[in-house]
This record gives sequence, C-alpha cells and structure tokens, in this order.
Amino acid sequence: MTSIQMPQLGETIVEGTILKWLKREGDAVARDEPLFEISTDKVDTEVPSPVAGTVTKILVDEGATVPVGTALMEISEAGGAASGDAASGGAASSSASGAAPSSDAVAAPSTGAASSEGSSAAPPAAPVAPAAPVAPAAPAVAPAVAAVATMPDRGPRSQILSPLVRRLAKEHDLDLAQIAGTGSGGRITKADVMAVISSGGQVASATAGATAPATAPAQPMPAPSAGIGEEIVPVSHIRRAIAEHMLASTQTSARAWTMVEVNVDHLVKLRERIKATFQDRYGVKITYLPMVVRATVDALLEYPDVNARLDGDNIVRHRFVNMGIAVSYDAGLIVPVIKGADGMNTIGVARAIADLAARARSHQLRPDEVQGATFTITNPGPYGSVASVPIINQPNVGILSFDAIVKRPVVIDDAIAIRSMVNISMSWDHRVIDGELATRFLARVKENLETWDFAEDLGV
Amino acid sequence: MATQQVEAGAAGHGAEPRGKRGEDGQATYLIAIAEALWEEMERDDRVFMLGEDIGVYGGAFKVTEGFIDRFGPERVMDTPIAEETIVGMSVGAAMEGLRPVAEFQYADFMSSGFDEITTVLSRYHYRAGVPLPVVLRGPSGGGVRASSFHSINPEPWYAYAGGIKIMCPAFPSDAKGLLKSAIRDDNPSLFLEHKWIYRRIKEQVSEDPELLVPIGSADVKREGSDVSIITYGAMVHKALEAADALARRGISAEIVDLRTVYPLDEETILRSIEKTSRALVLYESYRFLGIGTEVAAVIAEKAFEHLDAPVVRLAPPNVPVPFSPPLEDAFLPQIADIEAAVDRLAGW
Amino acid sequence: MRRTVATKVEPDAAASGRPLPDDRLTEILYFLKLARYFDERMEALYRQGRLPGAIYSGRGQEGTHVGVAYALEPEDSLFPTHRDLTAQLTKGLDLNRVMAQFWGRIDGYLRGRDGNSHIGDWYGHRTYAVMSHLPIAYPVACGAALAYQRAGSGHIAMAICGDGATSNGRWHEALNTSAVFRLPVVWVVNNNQFAYSTPNAKEFAVPTIAERGAAYGIPGIRVDGTDVLEVYGVAREAVERARRGDGPTLIEAVSLRWRGHAGHDPAKYVPRELLEHYMLSKDPVKNFEQYLKDQGVVTDEDVAEIQARVEREFEEGHEYALASPFPEPGDVTKGWWVEDGYWVGEPGRGGGTEAS
Repeated sequence: MTSIQMPQLGETIVEGTILKWLKREGDAVARDEPLFEISTDKVDTEVPSPVAGTVTKILVDEGATVPVGTALMEISEAGGAASGDAASGGAASSSASGAAPSSDAVAAPSTGAASSEGSSAAPPAAPVAPAAPVAPAAPAVAPAVAAVATMPDRGPRSQILSPLVRRLAKEHDLDLAQIAGTGSGGRITKADVMAVISSGGQVASATAGATAPATAPAQPMPAPSAGIGEEIVPVSHIRRAIAEHMLASTQTSARAWTMVEVNVDHLVKLRERIKATFQDRYGVKITYLPMVVRATVDALLEYPDVNARLDGDNIVRHRFVNMGIAVSYDAGLIVPVIKGADGMNTIGVARAIADLAARARSHQLRPDEVQGATFTITNPGPYGSVASVPIINQPNVGILSFDAIVKRPVVIDDAIAIRSMVNISMSWDHRVIDGELATRFLARVKENLETWDFAEDLGV
Repeated sequence: MATQQVEAGAAGHGAEPRGKRGEDGQATYLIAIAEALWEEMERDDRVFMLGEDIGVYGGAFKVTEGFIDRFGPERVMDTPIAEETIVGMSVGAAMEGLRPVAEFQYADFMSSGFDEITTVLSRYHYRAGVPLPVVLRGPSGGGVRASSFHSINPEPWYAYAGGIKIMCPAFPSDAKGLLKSAIRDDNPSLFLEHKWIYRRIKEQVSEDPELLVPIGSADVKREGSDVSIITYGAMVHKALEAADALARRGISAEIVDLRTVYPLDEETILRSIEKTSRALVLYESYRFLGIGTEVAAVIAEKAFEHLDAPVVRLAPPNVPVPFSPPLEDAFLPQIADIEAAVDRLAGW
Repeated sequence: MRRTVATKVEPDAAASGRPLPDDRLTEILYFLKLARYFDERMEALYRQGRLPGAIYSGRGQEGTHVGVAYALEPEDSLFPTHRDLTAQLTKGLDLNRVMAQFWGRIDGYLRGRDGNSHIGDWYGHRTYAVMSHLPIAYPVACGAALAYQRAGSGHIAMAICGDGATSNGRWHEALNTSAVFRLPVVWVVNNNQFAYSTPNAKEFAVPTIAERGAAYGIPGIRVDGTDVLEVYGVAREAVERARRGDGPTLIEAVSLRWRGHAGHDPAKYVPRELLEHYMLSKDPVKNFEQYLKDQGVVTDEDVAEIQARVEREFEEGHEYALASPFPEPGDVTKGWWVEDGYWVGEPGRGGGTEAS
C-alpha cells in the first residue's frame, strides 16, 4: 500500500490545498498519471502517481488545505503484495525501507516551481528505477556509498546529486536511495542530507516538517562575541537538529506525564545471581533495560493506542513494536530502533540493545536503524535521576523513562521493609490518549515487571 | 535608497561643497576619502597629487576642496588634459622617490591613459625591479543617469594588466583605510570610488590616522547561512537591502564585500561557500569577463564539493551604460533581481 | 619668454673649436667605435642564427646616440629607445650584462624578463628600460623631471625617440606638459629619415621636426646627427638650459638609418643614392676618427688600440653572456609585487621605497 502525502513544492512551503481530485476511490491509476491538482504559495500543479495500482482511499476533501506530509490518499499497487506491516515480524536487523509506515510513506514527487514539466513529466533517464520503496520483502541493505544507479525515481530532479550531497553521503555512509528529496523536482538537498545525519534518522520527514521549523532555513546568526568569563561554542549540526526536534515535539504533542513506583527487588536479586553466567553464555551484559523493554512491549500490544501515531484525523495503531532506545553519545542524543521487538525474547532484546548502543557510539548506525520507532524508552537511571519528564520522540504517542533503582523503605503488609524500588514514568500525548489509559498502561508495565519470572526468558 | 532618485550634481560636477564630518563622528564616503588623502599628505612629504581641476577648483567632485591652500600648488598639481602624461609622469616621479596620487576626473578617462597604465605602470617592476608607489584614483560606477562615459566600471581592464592592486570599497571606513594603505603600499594601486556612494552612504569613521584596512582582504558585511552573495562597490548596498527582504521570507543571505578586487581574498570567499553551499556572484561591470567571472571560476574550482547548487553570476549585459532611466534601471541589477536570483538558488 | 627657433643647420658652429679636452675626445671615439663594432657583430651573429630575438641597428646614427648621451651627468636620467642602445653604453652600462640580456640570461639587466635592446639600468646608471610602444617613455621622463624640479637637485631628464614617434599623441602631450611646467628635460628626436618604411614626408606635413617646438613654446634645434661634436654641443647647451631651470628644449638630430628597421628588414625603400651619400661622406665614426687624427689627438696606433679593445670587450661580453645561467623557470611569477622580494639583492637595487 502506498500512501500519497502532500508534497513540499519548495523549501519554504508548509502547506498545500487540494484543488481537485482527478481520481476517485476505486479508480485504476497508471504510473505518472495525474492524481490531483494542488495549489501552494508558489505553484498550482498536477501531482502524478509514483506507482501503478488502484485508489483505495481518499483521505482529504477537495478544497482542504493541509500541512505538507499529510496523507491524502492510499493506492494499493497492482501485483504488489502486502501492507506495510509485512516486514514487521522480521529480524531486528531488517532494514526494510518501507516497513514502518510512520516515516517511509512515499511523498508524491515534487515539481519545482521553476520547472513546469507538468503531470506527465518523464523521469530523467535514470539507469534503474526500482519499484516504490514500500516493497513487501525486506530488500538487502543498499551499499552505504551513494549509487545513482539505484536511486529511486522520486521526481524529475531526484537523480540530480550535487557535489556537496555526494560528498556528505560518502563521508557519513548514507544510502541516498533512502532519502526523499524535498528540493525542487524531488532533488535531495543539503538540508535533506543534514537532517538525516544530524538527527540520526529522527523522523524529520514531512510530518515533522509540517509543524516544525526544522526544514525552514535557519535565521541569520549574528557574529558572537564572548563576554568576560564566557566561552563561545558553535552549535554543531547534530545539536541543532536535536534542538529543532525537541522544540517541535513540545509544540506538537499535548504532553502529560504519569509515574508509577515499581518494586524490582527480585529483578535485582536475579541479576546478581545470573549476570556472570549470562555474560559467558551470550557474550553481552545483562542489564535491567531489556527486561523493561519486554515488559513494555507486552503492555503496548495490550494497549495499542499507546503504540500509535496521530496522522491528521486518524490514529494509526501499529500491530508490531519498533522500540526506540535513547542512547547518549559524544555528539549528543540518538535513538536507535529495535525493529520488531515484539518478536524477541529478553535475550534477543539484550543483544539488540548492546549492538545498537555500541554502533551508536561509534557512529556506525545506518539511517534505517534510527527511523521507524513506534514507542521509545529512555533510561537515565544509570546517571542517577529518580524521576524524569522526557520529551516525546515524534511521532510516537508516548515515551517511557526508566530511572535509577534505589533501595527504599516501603510498607508491605503494614510493616516497613527495604526494597529496591524504581520510578517508571511516561510522557504521553493527550491528543491521542487520556489519563486513564496512560495509567492503566503503566500499571500493566509495573505488573509485568513485578510478577514475571525473567529467569526462564533469560535462559539461565 | 531608491536608485530612482537623481541627486543634483551627482552625475556631473558637484557644485556643492564637500561637507564636514558630523559631530557624532559620522562621515560620508566622500569625506572619508578626503580625510585619507589629507592625512597621508600630512604624514609624508613625498606624497603629492596631480590631476585635472584638483587644485584651484577643488576637484570635480570636491574631494580635494581646500587642499591647495594647505599643501600648495606643487603638491596639488593641476595638469593639462593629458591622461597618458598624467600616468607617465606619476611613474617617472615614483621612480625618483616621490609618491604620486593621480586623480582622474572620471574613471572612464583612465582609458585615455591605457597604454601608460597597462604597458608601463603595471609591468615595470616585474621587468626591471623598480617599485612604483603610484595611486590612480577616480569616481567609477553608474546608477546616476550619467551614461556610458561617466559610469564605467573599468576594473576588469586593469585587473587584466596585472601588477596593479585594485580596490573598490563600498563603505566610508573601508574607503579611508584602504586608500591610506594604497598610498603607503610600494606597488601601483587603482582606487575606484563608486560615485553613487559618495554622498549617499555615511557611517562612523575613525579619526585615527594610523588606522589602515589591509589591501587584499574581503569582509563579511552580513552573516548568513543559506546563500553567499559575493559582491563589491555599490552592489553591496543593494545586496544588503535584498538580504533584509529575504530574511523576512526566511532566507538567510551572507554578504561578502570583496573590498579589493585584485588580488582576490580567496580564503574569505571560500569560507563563506563552505558555510552556505550556494553562491551568487553580483557585480556591476559587464557580465562577460568581469571580476565576478573570476570569482565564480575560483569557487567552482576550489569549492566544488561544498556546492549544493550551481554558481550563479548576476551582472549587467555587455552594452554601454545607457542614459534614459528605464534603460539604465534595466541595465543594472536591482534589488528585485538580487532577490529573484537568491530565490532561484535557494530553491534549486 | 619665447626663444627663437633655429631651423637652419649650422655645421661649423660646434666643429670649429676644441670643445673638450683630448682624453674626453678620445673617449668619445671609443664609444663610437664600440657602437659601430657592436652593431656590425650583432648583425652578423643574428644572420648566423646565433643571436636570439631581434636587433635594431643604429648604424649611421652613432653621432646622435653617443653625442647626446655624452652630454649627461651620471645623475641625469636617460629614456632611450630600442635603437639607441649605444647611448646607454655611452652612459656607462656594462657591456657584459647588456650581452647577457640579449641571450636571455639571469645576469642580463632585466634578468630575462625582457630581451634584445629592451634594456635599462635605473639604479646603476639612471636609464629607463626600453619599451616597444613609442614614445611611451616620454611622459615618464616628465615625471622624473618633475621630481628633480621639486627637489631642486639640478638633475635633468633626457628622452630619445625616432621621427616616426613624433606622430604619436604621447609625444605632443609630453612636450606640451613639459613646457607648461617648465620641466628640466631635453627632448631628442633621432630623425634617421625613415620610420620603418615610412619616409619623413609621409610621417609629418611640416618640413622639420624642430620647428614643432614652437607649437609648444619651447626652442627647437636641428643638427647634423652624423657629426658627434655638433650633436654634443647642442645637447650640452640644452642640458645646461634645463639645469638652470629654463625649461625644455627639442633637438632634432638628422642622420640616415643605414640598415633596415630590424635585422630582418632589407630596407629596400631607402633610395640608393641617399644611402650611398651617407655611407660614404657622412659616416659619424669614420669622420670623427679622421677629425681626431687631423687634429693630432690620436695616432693610428691609438686608433688600432681602441679597435682592439673594442673587439676584445665584445668577445668577452659574448662569452660572459653564453656562460651566464638561464633564470629559474619557477621564478616566472615572482617580482609582480614588491613584497615578494624578488628584485631585492640585485646589485645596486635598494628594494622598496616605503616599507622595505
């Protein structure tokens, strides 16, 4: 299934108006055939279809003005199987580019204001134009170095790679085929590449672009001057991208926060007992995080509204879990994603975390490994905080914080006992869920952690 | 700052006096230049000036008003209309230890001395090792309805000769500091004063007679991140206005004022391109073979891997500067043209 | 106050007395013979293909070249052309370095940056490095003269050009300007009657060049350029005038160019009778040699000795030139700006005037 989104026709465009649908639900459509007419600040134009198939759903009315990136219609491809979630159960290392509909839906090719090639623009003679990236099977990972020959056709100028774009892609090991260009005619611009590099694949795609100033050009910077006792440190690209994402997130979600206290005494004892054996047998350290992930995954499957995203007027629930794990590293913050965490046991999760964290710290993550999270966990506990209010990783509905485990006096059966306690909290988006649901969800996580016997799941 | 305004006397000989710097320390470009000349004449007896109508009349643009009373007719020489000889005499005097500053009533008349400039002045040191500390100066540039004999931007002709340092400042402080540097430099210099700027631009100008601006250094007049506009002369002011309008639309333009057009400050230019990845080269001499052509070539050659869009030039067509206002306005790059060029670059 | 213009040639005026002591007359003979021998030998080498570049013969005009240059003091400046190399030799340039210049060697005065007779030695002998555009050095001579006037140093500037160059605007600008400012300068025109192939009658419409001085308010004297003493006398007078502060003088020295404009030019445009007349009876070298012998200033042995010296010096110069190294190819871009220091350290050069 291909989702057609409102294209960004020009770097400063933030929204567009559907002037006229040229296809109705049920119509067949050929590749490059015009689907609809849109109007933006810069241009009125027809938008051609990137795929051949049948229009299954029209999501926006004629005359409506929607932000760039809004899903407008769905086309089911002729002969193309499966929906986007087919790849979800795959191995964690699956790099299916279209597996997560949250970020990889294809934007309709943009036509630049300057080039009036119209709806039947033939794509420039690109050597190989593969089928739209929402492929049913998980394709092999494209080579890290940008290869024009495997560039998908995303518009009349999507094959044009400027010297800067080529160099950055090479230096940062990016697969340009994975990056949708927001430049004129679908060209991959410096901003597109920088967004991928600096946010580590945060969903800095069209949906974020609609509400965030992330894709807008930066404001002119006045020349800094250090006062007495001051030091000037220029902002790195990554810092800037994190800043933009965080700000956009707080401006997007109606954020609320809930916390529960969890008694993890038995987990502490368990870990103490098995950690050496585990390390020997599986080659990785066992921490509490994989257990928390397992507990959370279960709760997410139980409460799918928490494992969702808001798409215009629709809540899109995922029936699989891609768990984002916030990792702190030298350049700042990055969120690698355990794809298909719902299909893993605790050992698998532990291995995945160890691998992703190590590669995050050595700057070796691939773009698809930092995209597509359906829920996110952050673990500031090792640094000592007992409660945190994290910022939601867009476009998730919630982010769970697992803080420090501290021995505390608690009341059990009207007596005071010392137990290892930890605060688990969640920032959640009140646009999508309410307090009762959020609390129930957390209660479920708590219950899982307090009652499950992890020893079996850990194979020790 | 509409170029539509035709300041009385701007195109021809300004009959009004040069004016003084304000009590707040503000001085026009014209005054700043006069101050530079005065200070250097006071500092070094070997400096002297020659040119047509500069002595008794005080100069066609009043730059040298009052100079002859202070320095005498030997050091503020009125010459016959003989441009070859004005240049040649400057060379001979320099060979014998003097430091001449020759004024051309309009930069357009420098071509009357073309041979002496390009054959003698530019080459002598290379051939025979005798330093020629000669400064040729005069008002250049258009936008004042003065037509093709009073509006030239001659810098490409003389840059091609080589051996002459060529300066085109846009601001009063730069003009003062650069002219002083030129007079103190042992090499030949060509100091082009854009006549549109003479009385229109004023700013805080230092009174420190030892404050110099180094020759061969460009200056970032406005920091930005999306597009670099590399330019000089009156076009700097148009670019600054265009940048304001662009900023309101969310496009951040960085403006690099070359100040010296030969030799070029490649480092500053390239550093700007590395930052923004997009270059608009804006200049007022004809598009073909202008200074901007060289700048564009340097960027393409040395900053290729930093470019996210082609290097674009914006300059007048290769026709003589026309007189009638709509023709001249169509000839010169206007603020709207600059904005449109930046828009195209930003959206490439 | 205007001076009267002399348009007649007065052949006996300078030749009658002994204007100079014997040793100086002998020295003039040495320069004349050097000039002649140099001219003949260089042409021979050129025809043999052993001289790179070009030669511009001054044969037959030695009286002018040596005569005017000999009237100058060391501190006076000379602005010559490609044809009056011997004027520069008379002013004292080193023949070795002159020869090295022809062969493009580093020891040439311009270190290979220019060649042939485009020679000058400013810091050593105050001569301006010759340029091809004519008379491009005339305005520069005005500048040097202006500097002398301002400094009150008493030095003067002398510039030479040919009859053809008097058609050029620069010539008129320079004369006019020098007159307006009463500059201490002597304007010499070597009228060898042909500008390349153009005879005087097609070059200007007035009968003489000297009378053009009146148009600028300066005196113009016409002399027989083949009589070195006459030329010297007139030049000396003009030099003294300038030194006194009485302003510029125009000297037209008339001779004939015996050879073509340059080495390649057979000069068939020169009428045969005219050429024969000059070669036979108006040879400046032969005539002066004879005059000195007649006056008892030199004997045949003295003449032979001078000839031998001249020949020896020429051969030494030739060897010196061929032994001198070529300039470094990598230095081709050096010397544009004073600050790169390429020319500092050249003998007699002080480098910059302000900074260094």
